[in-house]
Amino acid sequence: MSADTFDIQAVTQMNGQKERDVVPEVERGEFVLEVKNFSVDYGVGENMVRAVNDVTLHVRRSNVLGIAGESGSGKSTLVYAMTRLLRAPGVISGGDVILNFANPEDEKKFTAVNLVTANEKELRRIRWSHVSIVLQSALSALNPVLRVGREFDEVLKTHRSDLSKEQRRARAVELLSMVGLNEDRLSRYPHELSGGQRQRIMIALALALDPDLVIMDEPTTALDVVTQREIISGLHDLRSRFGFAMIFITHDLSLLVELADEIVVMYAGEIVERAGARDLYEAPRHPYTLGLLNSFPPLHGQRHELTGIPGSPPDLSDLPTGCNFYPRCPFAMTRCEHEAPGLRAFENSDRTVACWLHAPDSSVPVPVELSRRATGARDAVALLEGRP
Amino acid sequence: MRMIGRRLSLYALTAWVAITVNFLLPRLMPGNPVQTMIGKLTGQVTPAEMNAIQLSFGGSFKHGLFSQYITYLTQLLHGNFGVSITLGAPVGAILRESVPWTVGLIGFSTIISFAVGTFAGALLGWTRGSRLDSLIPAATFFQAIPYFFLGTVMLLVFASNLHWFPVLGAYSQNVTPGWNWAFVGNVIRYGELPVISIVLSSIAGWMLGMRNMMITMVGEDFVLMAVAKGLPRRKVIMHAARNAVLPSIANLSLAIGLVVSGALLVELVFNYPGVGDLLLQAVLNEDYPLIQGIFLVITLTVLCANLIADVVYLALDPRTRTEAAV
Amino acid sequence: MKILRLPKSPKVLLGLGIVGFFILLTIIGPWLAPYSPSATNFAANLTPSAHHWLGTTSLGQDIYSQLLVGARATMVVALVAGLVATVLSVTIGVAAGYLGGLPDDGLSLLSNVFLAIPGLPLLIVIDSYLPVNSRSNSFVIGLIISLTGWAWGARVLRAQTMSLRNRDFVEAARIIGEKRHRIMFTEIAPNLLPVLASSFLFTVLYSIGAYVTLAYIGLTSTAVWNWGTMLYWAQANNAPLSNEWYWFVPPGICIALVGTGLALVNFGIDEFINPRLRAAGITSRQRRKLGLPRRVRLGLTPVLRTTRAPRVNPAPAKLVSQ
Repeated sequence: MSADTFDIQAVTQMNGQKERDVVPEVERGEFVLEVKNFSVDYGVGENMVRAVNDVTLHVRRSNVLGIAGESGSGKSTLVYAMTRLLRAPGVISGGDVILNFANPEDEKKFTAVNLVTANEKELRRIRWSHVSIVLQSALSALNPVLRVGREFDEVLKTHRSDLSKEQRRARAVELLSMVGLNEDRLSRYPHELSGGQRQRIMIALALALDPDLVIMDEPTTALDVVTQREIISGLHDLRSRFGFAMIFITHDLSLLVELADEIVVMYAGEIVERAGARDLYEAPRHPYTLGLLNSFPPLHGQRHELTGIPGSPPDLSDLPTGCNFYPRCPFAMTRCEHEAPGLRAFENSDRTVACWLHAPDSSVPVPVELSRRATGARDAVALLEGRP
Repeated sequence: MRMIGRRLSLYALTAWVAITVNFLLPRLMPGNPVQTMIGKLTGQVTPAEMNAIQLSFGGSFKHGLFSQYITYLTQLLHGNFGVSITLGAPVGAILRESVPWTVGLIGFSTIISFAVGTFAGALLGWTRGSRLDSLIPAATFFQAIPYFFLGTVMLLVFASNLHWFPVLGAYSQNVTPGWNWAFVGNVIRYGELPVISIVLSSIAGWMLGMRNMMITMVGEDFVLMAVAKGLPRRKVIMHAARNAVLPSIANLSLAIGLVVSGALLVELVFNYPGVGDLLLQAVLNEDYPLIQGIFLVITLTVLCANLIADVVYLALDPRTRTEAAV
Repeated sequence: MKILRLPKSPKVLLGLGIVGFFILLTIIGPWLAPYSPSATNFAANLTPSAHHWLGTTSLGQDIYSQLLVGARATMVVALVAGLVATVLSVTIGVAAGYLGGLPDDGLSLLSNVFLAIPGLPLLIVIDSYLPVNSRSNSFVIGLIISLTGWAWGARVLRAQTMSLRNRDFVEAARIIGEKRHRIMFTEIAPNLLPVLASSFLFTVLYSIGAYVTLAYIGLTSTAVWNWGTMLYWAQANNAPLSNEWYWFVPPGICIALVGTGLALVNFGIDEFINPRLRAAGITSRQRRKLGLPRRVRLGLTPVLRTTRAPRVNPAPAKLVSQ
């Protein structure tokens, strides 16, 4: 790491791993990203479709937030809109996205910028140096006619005018070695590399400027399982070394539980459940989360029958009244048909879930699948050992 | 390299087809126009000239078709395109006079038109939705005007009425041809209006094509990534344009034939001493050896231009290079 | 055409209007002409007037009548050439793309050779050998033009066929055991329609240009009135240099208008084929009303704070807003 990179470790220690079930009054620095009542539409007027509805979430400094959901759940729309990268006809229709980044000179001082109101110039300065992105397909994310080295050089040249050509080259080599690639890759074109190599290059590129937040949009979906594992474990290492925060989007919940600290599950543009990664994995509270978990084989532990979720993802232009998930829900009640369940705290923990089954005034007993206690400490340890 | 090899063999084949078509056409046509022409010429030209004309068509019709074909090819290989009936000079010599004018005029116009059109198209594609979009119908209209008609209107308005440009020809009669500044300057001055005409006629094609490719490229992930990297707008545009220009260059070979065809007629409008003007004279006088010679020269020149476009493409797209290397 | 649902943009509607107008002119033009186009019984070189809307030629012919009568020959040749060329390119392109292998190599080579030969000079060579009576025949000329104009369409159609060939529904038809030609015509052909339409329009455009050019250099019969012959006579009589704009400008404008119409319709087809070219789903009226920027910049998603309240939670439970 170059000398003038601020040390994020101090911040992490200061605000640290506090108890999850207490919502602390925090200084600006605890959260790298605060998304408040954020809504995104496609189009306007009669043909308008709300793709993200009133989403509120936070990303803690140096933590990994996983966002899970089927395709069309609005998870990608959410992150692209957050960074103002969403293409037309996408329109942000409300809310705020506050990015807090540390001052390079004094890591206790933070600058807060609202990305929703920021202008082009401000955004250009923030992009990549504070927030970077890794896309699903590295092949399409890298310019096909440029050598890999050019991509690094360009980013460094734009944001770090203090570096000389040789220094930029040295930094690129260093970044490649961080993701386990030889420097000769710099003179290659994207099509000359394997899918795994390309994705490593994208990750190295994303870390080029020591960003506060890295957004990963299904970075491993296009890869085979072995490469997928390598990338995930690599990310794990890199995160513990450099302490950047991450938003990791995937439809594969079992993958997320390996990497994420906290998981948000989205359905039809809304958050339906939010919990610590392990809690969510071991004791899902929303029927949709349960369905997602059942549609992937777990990476560790016992195999079970894959059941998946009946029906197809909802048509956003024609959402049901009441709970969005109601038509596909195996536990649907009459109430679900008419009233939308809000996101509410679950049993006084900091978990939140949007389901009538868990409402305090619910008269129906919670089904056993959704009321399991988190598995005991032994299982948790086994799970942790499985971690890279 | 393999790609260039493949293209080269395609062009060689094309050249052969063009030559063969040239040989067969007069023989396939009803009424055998060449024999009629030779019949008409008997007595008007010297026996030696007659012999040269006959040779350039493959010798006497009394011989078999194949033997005629061989004679024809041999003559071509020796650079013997026959003798022009109306001008009385060898076709090869006539073409040596006029080809440089055409290559200069059309080559220069095409480069300008491609460069400016591609640049404007990239800009139009990037700013899609802005007020600049109103240029599109106008460009479409310009694209649809025949080259020679636009040339005529330009000549009428800017040369004969406004006197901004000299009227006809490639240079003034007051200067002596040669490599001196007076002459070169004069040629440039006389070339301005024809060049502008050709550029105006052909630019819309490049522009609209590039615009569509640019819009398609802006939809690609790597352009969004360029924005996400916080690159200055100019660099983001370059990322897209660098890729969008590739299909344009790939289409050059397709378009060159059309541009050359159209531009030849502009020469005619401006009395430019190139191949186009010559072609018209030859057609009007049924000067078959000259027509055939011109057709062959145009075809070969276009094929050369295609080859250059291929080499440029190869240099700009790394993907084709590896394909060849593997 | 239902399969080809063209976007109803002003561009496309304008294009359809122009093309429709000229097709109408092709049909009724000769009846509308006030005089015979060849009749030389008027004073020569008249400027436009109520009697002669576009004046007369140096031979004393009515130019307006020539324009109306000339529409038919021009359009008929273009349509004949366009149709024949499209049939050729469909046959060759689809066969090459569908059969693959050796037939594909051969047919692709053939179309590449035809693409590389400059069309107009070849056309001129062929035409100059034609007997004079064939030059006045619209169908012969159309046929020859189509010979030099089919290759581009064949190439595009081949590429499209190849991509269609490997799609599921064609695969399914093959597994069911449908006959090859049946698959080709019932499964693949309908999906080629937009590309086909586009290549047809292009060929018609090319044919008009080629025909007019041939006529302009005097290679079609001067007895047949078309817009090219009008330009030929105008040029031959030095009309451009004697400022007789009414003689040579109208036919040129007509040619350009037909071409513009065809190209505008083609824009619609392009947008149909390539969805990225379609304008995003916000109409200009909505944009103005809501104060959205005219052009959405890449990387600057517009913000439009609507007053609509978020979905309300009717339950009395506490909403967590951590």
